[in-house]
Amino acid sequence: MFELTLQAIVSGLLVGGVYALMAAGLNLIFGVVRIINFAHGDLMMVAMYAVYWLFTLSGIDPYVAVLVVAPALFLLGVFLQRVVIRPIQGSSPLMIIFATVAVSLVLQNLALMLFQGDFRSVQTSYSIAVLDAGPVLVSVPRLIAFAASILLFAGLFLFLRYTYVGKALRAVAENRTVARLMGIRVERIYLLAFGLGSALAGIAGVLMMPFASAYPTVGTIYTLLAFVVVVLGGLGSMEGTVVAGLAVGLIETLTGTFISPAVKEIAYFGLFIVILLIRPQGFFGLGKGTEEVGLK
Amino acid sequence: MKRAGTIAGVLILLLGALLLSPAALAQQEIRIGAIYPRSGSLALLGEESWRGAEIARQERNEAGGILGRQIVFVNADAPNVNAARSEAERLISQQGVQLLIGTYSSALSMAASEAAARRGVTFFELGAISDGITQRGYKTVFRTNPTASMFVAAQMAFLRDWMAPQMGKEPEQLRVAIAHEDSDYGTSVAENMRREAERLGLNLVSVQPYSSTSTDLSSVILRLRAASPDVIVAVSYAQDAILLQRQAHELGLRSKVVGTGGGHSLSSFYEALGDLAEGVFNVDFTQYEVNTAFTPGLEEFRERYRATFGEEPRSGHSLANYMGAHVLFDIIERSGGSLDPERIRASTLSYVVRPGQLATGWGVRFDETGQNVGATPLVTQWRGGKLVTVWPEQAAVMAPVLIE
Repeated sequence: MFELTLQAIVSGLLVGGVYALMAAGLNLIFGVVRIINFAHGDLMMVAMYAVYWLFTLSGIDPYVAVLVVAPALFLLGVFLQRVVIRPIQGSSPLMIIFATVAVSLVLQNLALMLFQGDFRSVQTSYSIAVLDAGPVLVSVPRLIAFAASILLFAGLFLFLRYTYVGKALRAVAENRTVARLMGIRVERIYLLAFGLGSALAGIAGVLMMPFASAYPTVGTIYTLLAFVVVVLGGLGSMEGTVVAGLAVGLIETLTGTFISPAVKEIAYFGLFIVILLIRPQGFFGLGKGTEEVGLK
Repeated sequence: MKRAGTIAGVLILLLGALLLSPAALAQQEIRIGAIYPRSGSLALLGEESWRGAEIARQERNEAGGILGRQIVFVNADAPNVNAARSEAERLISQQGVQLLIGTYSSALSMAASEAAARRGVTFFELGAISDGITQRGYKTVFRTNPTASMFVAAQMAFLRDWMAPQMGKEPEQLRVAIAHEDSDYGTSVAENMRREAERLGLNLVSVQPYSSTSTDLSSVILRLRAASPDVIVAVSYAQDAILLQRQAHELGLRSKVVGTGGGHSLSSFYEALGDLAEGVFNVDFTQYEVNTAFTPGLEEFRERYRATFGEEPRSGHSLANYMGAHVLFDIIERSGGSLDPERIRASTLSYVVRPGQLATGWGVRFDETGQNVGATPLVTQWRGGKLVTVWPEQAAVMAPVLIE
């Protein structure tokens, strides 16, 4: 029983790390640009295919591929913000939601057309490596994904807290009008936030590829999960995102293991509803009102 | 003299043309409606299924047809349930077709066969496996391929007759766990499994439903591991079959795995898992890595498929439809070329073939519900990247092994 619990906790934390990383990118876009990006998981899907093709065609290791994939996804994010979002940014929030859903559909169907519905995986020497740590077993690529995700969070936290650009990002997240009055070039911050957010989705895709398969609709479930994590953790709060991501992973694995796999979704969506009711700004939200996402 | 000869020649040609006119030909041809999903999301294997029936038709026509009459397919595309129903009705009422075949998908088959049966028209299913198709009391609906519960029966018989002795256990000592995706497909198959395992006296230790869209199945694996099964029987789609196998390895669950068609038979299963796929069992329609002495005609079918469509068969679906169409042609021949439903039913119920004589190796013996109870799914195993037939012995190309 002790071993089972310990293993469930470890497995839950490992999954949660990836959820948190997915959500970090969404949180930047959601918190700073204030748009609900339904294509977030599909950006991860694009990155997964990129890793797959780089590996299959030129033998580039998935972890090395991050050097190409992350910048490419950054540019894709900037492109989307500039070409799709900016022209309609002042219009109704619903319009923007439709636009991101359209981007999601375009990306999914492009993938379907180009690569069919097949499940694409990369096989590396470490794909199935397992670390035997006494009472628990730890998959090596999952551990790498977890560790990389925690490191990225630390970097992101420092960046947002101590650099000028990071402070500008936070300022825009808190109040874009005042930020503009203070001389921050809000349009540029939007481009940066969307680019960074996409790059983070890309890195999440890279880190998952050694143990997951790419297929056209792989992003859909992650988009949903990332939204849950962002709202639980609080808009604009990176600490909140880490805590919420790990919490969702833990809840999923523990309820799945000790109650039934059938209830694991019920458990974290249930928590999601409770948090929305009693603390809508999330665990670490920036205060009342920040949850409104410009929907008025 | 020369002119008279020319005129006579022209007259003979005209007379010949008259005899061969469409109206005259129509009396000679045997027309069969062929309903398959050939566009939309089911198109890949729907088309594959149709190709099998089409090859049987060409082959039979080249050999002189049925009692000298050529067979013609009136083809209809049914990408969804509504289309299946309306196309069946259209073929019957507007094209005057008296016999229908199809369909690959169980949902399509339910709709099309119902439309046919209500009009008293014969329907032969050659590839869909849902049990319900032949359980609605329709006298004119038949099926040549095995059902879902026959898949389960073959699987559980394999566990009792091969796996238990191999592990040095009595059947009641063999610890069996079921992991299934929780949609209608997985749930109904798993329910069959539970009943069959109990009937055969196997020791069922755990049943784990899960959502096939899950991103992580560690909780399923941990629960299975806690039950320490000897063998896990899985009903999975593509992505979850891969995830189960990978996470079982990551979490140190070393039980044997037996799949039920679906995700475990796809080439992407092996491509994603490599060595982790080695030794995984699966129950399925007859595949191409099989003992051809048990499946006479399989190699010829494969040759012909390549010649006709310019590629290798994509799955065993074409083979199953090929076998089914030939059985149907034999039955029509036995009723003297008549498509009268009463006569077709009588010759169907009296038509018997022993296993090992047709291209799928399946026997033929129809019961009162119209189901061919002689058809048996085969057990295959992933060996060196190929899904080879390992059981029963007469169909096997390799002996099954337990891979640690």
